[in-house]
Amino acid sequence: MQSWRRKSLWLALLASWLLVLLGLFPLLRLSVPTSPWAGAPQGWPRWLDAELLQSFAKPGELLEDGPRPPQALRGGSCNWGACFDTSKCRGGGLKVFVYPAAGPVSETRRRILASVEGSRYHTLSAAEACLLLLLSPDTSTGECDPVPPQWDGGRNHLVLSLHPAPCPRTFQLGQAMVAEASPTVDTFRPGFDVALPLLPEAHPLRGGAPGQLRQHSPRPGVALLALAEDGGRWHVAGTDFSACPWDGRCEQDRGPKQTHPGATLPNATFCLIPGRGPDVLHFLQALQVLTALQEMPLTRVLALRQQTQFLWDAYFSSVEKVIHTTLEVRGIHLMGALVFGSASSLPLSMPLSSDTSSALIIQDRIFGPSAHPSLLWNSPPGAILALPTFSPSPSDFPFYHLQQGSRPLGRFSALIWGGAPGQPPLKLIQAVAGSQHCAQILVLWSSEKPPPTRWPKTAVPLTVIDGHRKVSDRFFPYSAISTDAILSLDAHSSLSTSEVDFAFVVWQSFPERMVGFLTWSHFWDEARGGWGYTAKRTNEFSMVLTSAAFYHRYYHTLFTHALPKALRTLADEAPTCVDVLMNFLVASVTKLPPIKVPYGMWHQEARPPPLEPGGPGLRQEPQPAAQNCINQMAAGFGHMPLVSSRLRLDPVLFKDPVSVLRKKYRSLEKP
Amino acid sequence: MCASVKYNIRGPALIPRMKTKHRIYYITLFSIVLLGLIATGMFQFWPHSIESSSDWSVQKRSIRDVPVVRLPADSPVPERGDLSCRMHTCFDVYRCGFNPKNKIKVYIYSLKKYVDDAGVPVSSTISQEYNELLTAVADSDYYTEDIARACLFIPSIDLLNQNALRVKETAQALAQLSRWDRGTNHLLFNMLPGGPPDYNTALDVPRDRALLAGGGFSTWTYRQGYDVSIPVYSPLSAEVDLPEKGPGPRRYFLLSSQMALHPEYREELAALQARHGEAVLVLDKCTNLSEGIPAARKRCHKHQVFDYPQVLQEATFCVVPRGARLGQAVLSDVLWAGCIPVIIADSYILPFSEVLDWKRASVAVPEEKMSDVYSILQSIPQRQIEEMQRQARWFWEAYFQSIKAIALATLQIINDRIYPYAAISYEDWNDPPSVKWGSVSNPLFLPLIPPQSQGFTAIVLTYDRVESLFRVITEVSKVPSLSKLLVVWNNQNKNPPDDSLWPKIRVPLKVVRTAENKLSNRFFPYDEIETEAVLAIDDDIIMLTSDELQFGYEVWREFPDRLVGYPGRLHLWDHEMSKWKYESEWTNEVSMVLTGAAFYHKYFNYLYTYKMPGDIKNWVDAHMNCEDIAMNFLVANVTGKAVIKVTPRKKFKCPECTAIDGLSLDQTHMVERSECINKFASVFGTMPLKVVEHRADPVLYKDDFPEKLKSFPNIGSL
Repeated sequence: MQSWRRKSLWLALLASWLLVLLGLFPLLRLSVPTSPWAGAPQGWPRWLDAELLQSFAKPGELLEDGPRPPQALRGGSCNWGACFDTSKCRGGGLKVFVYPAAGPVSETRRRILASVEGSRYHTLSAAEACLLLLLSPDTSTGECDPVPPQWDGGRNHLVLSLHPAPCPRTFQLGQAMVAEASPTVDTFRPGFDVALPLLPEAHPLRGGAPGQLRQHSPRPGVALLALAEDGGRWHVAGTDFSACPWDGRCEQDRGPKQTHPGATLPNATFCLIPGRGPDVLHFLQALQVLTALQEMPLTRVLALRQQTQFLWDAYFSSVEKVIHTTLEVRGIHLMGALVFGSASSLPLSMPLSSDTSSALIIQDRIFGPSAHPSLLWNSPPGAILALPTFSPSPSDFPFYHLQQGSRPLGRFSALIWGGAPGQPPLKLIQAVAGSQHCAQILVLWSSEKPPPTRWPKTAVPLTVIDGHRKVSDRFFPYSAISTDAILSLDAHSSLSTSEVDFAFVVWQSFPERMVGFLTWSHFWDEARGGWGYTAKRTNEFSMVLTSAAFYHRYYHTLFTHALPKALRTLADEAPTCVDVLMNFLVASVTKLPPIKVPYGMWHQEARPPPLEPGGPGLRQEPQPAAQNCINQMAAGFGHMPLVSSRLRLDPVLFKDPVSVLRKKYRSLEKP
Repeated sequence: MCASVKYNIRGPALIPRMKTKHRIYYITLFSIVLLGLIATGMFQFWPHSIESSSDWSVQKRSIRDVPVVRLPADSPVPERGDLSCRMHTCFDVYRCGFNPKNKIKVYIYSLKKYVDDAGVPVSSTISQEYNELLTAVADSDYYTEDIARACLFIPSIDLLNQNALRVKETAQALAQLSRWDRGTNHLLFNMLPGGPPDYNTALDVPRDRALLAGGGFSTWTYRQGYDVSIPVYSPLSAEVDLPEKGPGPRRYFLLSSQMALHPEYREELAALQARHGEAVLVLDKCTNLSEGIPAARKRCHKHQVFDYPQVLQEATFCVVPRGARLGQAVLSDVLWAGCIPVIIADSYILPFSEVLDWKRASVAVPEEKMSDVYSILQSIPQRQIEEMQRQARWFWEAYFQSIKAIALATLQIINDRIYPYAAISYEDWNDPPSVKWGSVSNPLFLPLIPPQSQGFTAIVLTYDRVESLFRVITEVSKVPSLSKLLVVWNNQNKNPPDDSLWPKIRVPLKVVRTAENKLSNRFFPYDEIETEAVLAIDDDIIMLTSDELQFGYEVWREFPDRLVGYPGRLHLWDHEMSKWKYESEWTNEVSMVLTGAAFYHKYFNYLYTYKMPGDIKNWVDAHMNCEDIAMNFLVANVTGKAVIKVTPRKKFKCPECTAIDGLSLDQTHMVERSECINKFASVFGTMPLKVVEHRADPVLYKDDFPEKLKSFPNIGSL
């Protein structure tokens, strides 16, 4: 009995302990609800009866939601199609009429007027204009404009104000588009209005200084971040800033690292321009922005750096660029927001988010859809130089083959500029037609005399085009040109088939550049205080002669439609200038030198005697009058775009002491 | 959270007493203990119906069992949506500060059933799609269980279809959420907003500052940069299988499949059909379908019956006009079929338009231009049409296909706004995989010729050939643009020579000792490299002249994104063996340069060390060979460009010693190098090397010109 009793007692004790433990266990679990050992909660439950759930819409609901008549337009909000009469632009493309200024005109305003008037969009008639440009009154004159005569509720108007208006507008903006710097989110109509950069008074009219970066990657040991402070000062944070987390403690350290007001931008990888919010630093800390910047992969830092330079150079560096960007090339492609990414909502400024490719959003509703606005806007050379009217397909341009994974078409068109009396250039035609890459030969006949009736028989089609007897004709985008590559020739050029073949193969590797045989180089002439150029053989060159050069046919479109008319007229008046002009154009687009390929010296000896002056033909040493043209071009472009090169591309085995049988381009080596 | 409930259920704990005299007492005690045990056991292992939310998830549960919440009639209603809200005014970013790695954390409220005072439910508890949506969020990286650390809150109240809920009561339900706080940082999903007769374009439920992911926004209701425009999901996507149809011409040019079209639109379309005949097909509801066939799957034109959505694949363009609502589920079907949507709905904010470039996949035609739609579409070139067809299908696959895709795209957009510096790029959002695969985005894309004054850093990899090393150092130091010399001492068993023994040169000389004898040490991004240009040079390359090296640097400046080297090599496709072959003969082409002496941008050192695909880096170190081929592959792959061979130089070791070109050694060497090419091509998944027929020489090289006037006269030996 006793033992039974003891046993049962122990058993009861044991059982009760067990009970207590089991009872405690769930209590423990509750007391630490989020600890991971508690069975790792799986979030949203998997419902047993999930299969039985109804769809959010009844079967017919998505198909028939009750038709409704088109809505009448509500005031206050505008978008394309609603507030813009595109039919006015169908005829002559984008024609812009500028209301003449009343009273004195400020410098900025004069610059804007000049840049519109000098552009190809400008028209003098308000009736035929597709867009009417109204410059907002200046701060300096202080006069308020009356309602313009053709206002019509602001339809097809663009009101441009680079500075905040000094007086309240006397009229409602209504359906007019507004282009202004720092618009507020509340009044800005995305996709309709345009946000502009705030331009300093001294912003150059044309050209503009290139970006300041001289290398792709940041220098080692450079500060990570510089913070803009009041009065144009910058506070530079070193790479070791993480030890000093932007709280009160670091405030004291600020003194020595500050720059003086007016100093150039600080030497830092990122620059931060805080908005008006007082607690930017608090914000940065909360979102660990600095850590994110520090951990940002090098690849992205490099991309951001380069993109700042590209954007600056393509759209910001001059008044003209800003205005053209606003108008966009032929068709009011509006920049939806120049507020980079969400710069207005987060005080992270341009260098941080400038490669968010949505930075520039264009609306090209007038001229129909264009395929890749983003690519055109966000990669070199930029949308001002990549005319969307040229082609909807980026692969047709010389610039985007890498991004598109495409290649330029495998053949070329020879464009021979002729017009001098005498026999057709038989030898030249035979040599060019002998190339396996030649697709067609076009003879641009530019003489008073009728072209010869008989042309040599060639393996490829030969077409004679009647030119307009102007030198600039040779760069007109003739529809007969069917290939990406053009081999531009003079009737008196002398080339061998081997030279043509090799040069074309080289061009395929550099489709955005000019590939030529004869070169000129430019130099700064201290004595005359201007630019000069020479045809003398030197160790470097910056121009190739278009009397024998390969280039992309897109440059004909650019030459004819994007160059200011004044420059083309200049070239027509001084024919040697046309080479300079074409080289300026290509260099300002590519920012790179042209490419030289070997050219047999024997051509020069076999050359016919010089031709009548002024006519197209061989251009040897530029005449003194022509020397002036390079300076006029430089003034027209606003800067000197030419870049020098010190190399020539030769065939791999060029003049090597190996059996000539191994060489593919053996005839290039003729003495 | 239900702790109090728990205490009430549990029985009182039992404490057995030691002193007692009656057997009956023990038996009672024993049975009580036993009962207690059983009760506890049952409590432990029984499905917990009213347990804490964390316990729910572990088990499968039924929706019928969700807790019921009664909303008093006078409970607060949120303000109407604040139209002026923007991320910087209405969104509290500080809540996102806890989130690691630039990722917002999202909390989902637990599911409840809301009833009014009379016990009538406010809405159906949850729809199939909303359940899918919340499941997708909960399964994603965004999800957190911890309400205190969440940055974004998603109510489990289903708002997808406004017709299925009671507006005021739903708003009251929102207002009583534990972290509601005027809706700050709350995200609501809605696909069918508004209701008859005026069909508002945004959800009518008052929601104060909450973000709205809505289908069918118009420019008047959409808060740019705050709301997210989402598609109206088409449940057909889950029911039907519609294999991709390649781009190209299709039977109909323009098709309309909408059942409920306003008569005005239908007249316009009928007129188009009359004018263009077969090219235009206008479909309508079928009137005489036999029983059992769902109306959603058939469309009719006169008496002809078509299968839907298959018929959409027969058309190049499909019109998507506005209905009562701006957002139409048919948009999803149209994209799915690879038909280019023609959006005829003025002021409609297209789905995900914040990030998606709709111009690449659709055509927008103003409502008043509807009669011109045919001519507008005709003006689009065929090449662009094909691109748009591909793009349309890709948009569907990536962002429309499933509720999950819609939910994750929405969260990604919000995430990108909060961490713009870590945002997904335009290309990643918009480029279909085929484009991403074929295209190259050169990391050094800016056309820039670095100034000559920067100079270059020469990196000499050496093991123990001190004498030869010193000769190389002396030679290289004669190059005008050299700015620093870095010797990478790869021998761990031997110390580098004493400081006093090194040649005295005009630029800083630095010796780096490595921890292991690895070939990849040559391509390490040493902090000591301050210039962008790097000259990698072996410790036995003594033949290169100063002119050759200086010219090489000049060429690199003109091509800073390429490998610029001296002896060139070629890869060839061996048709017999069906594999790649390494070629070092006298060829007219080059695709590689040897890195025994080559200029390149120092960024490629970073890429080689940290971003080399696959196991190539280790493989090279293990085989002690082909590091140069690996570098050639790497650079060609990221830039899409060919190498530049400079000068005629064919060999750069001593011309008389033919060890490396010796016959027997040459054989194995060539086999090994060929193997490397095949190995790398398979790791890269492609052959990135580009073949060119040119090399770079000085402008006046071998020209009939006085030698002393040439910049680089001492060039030309092999």
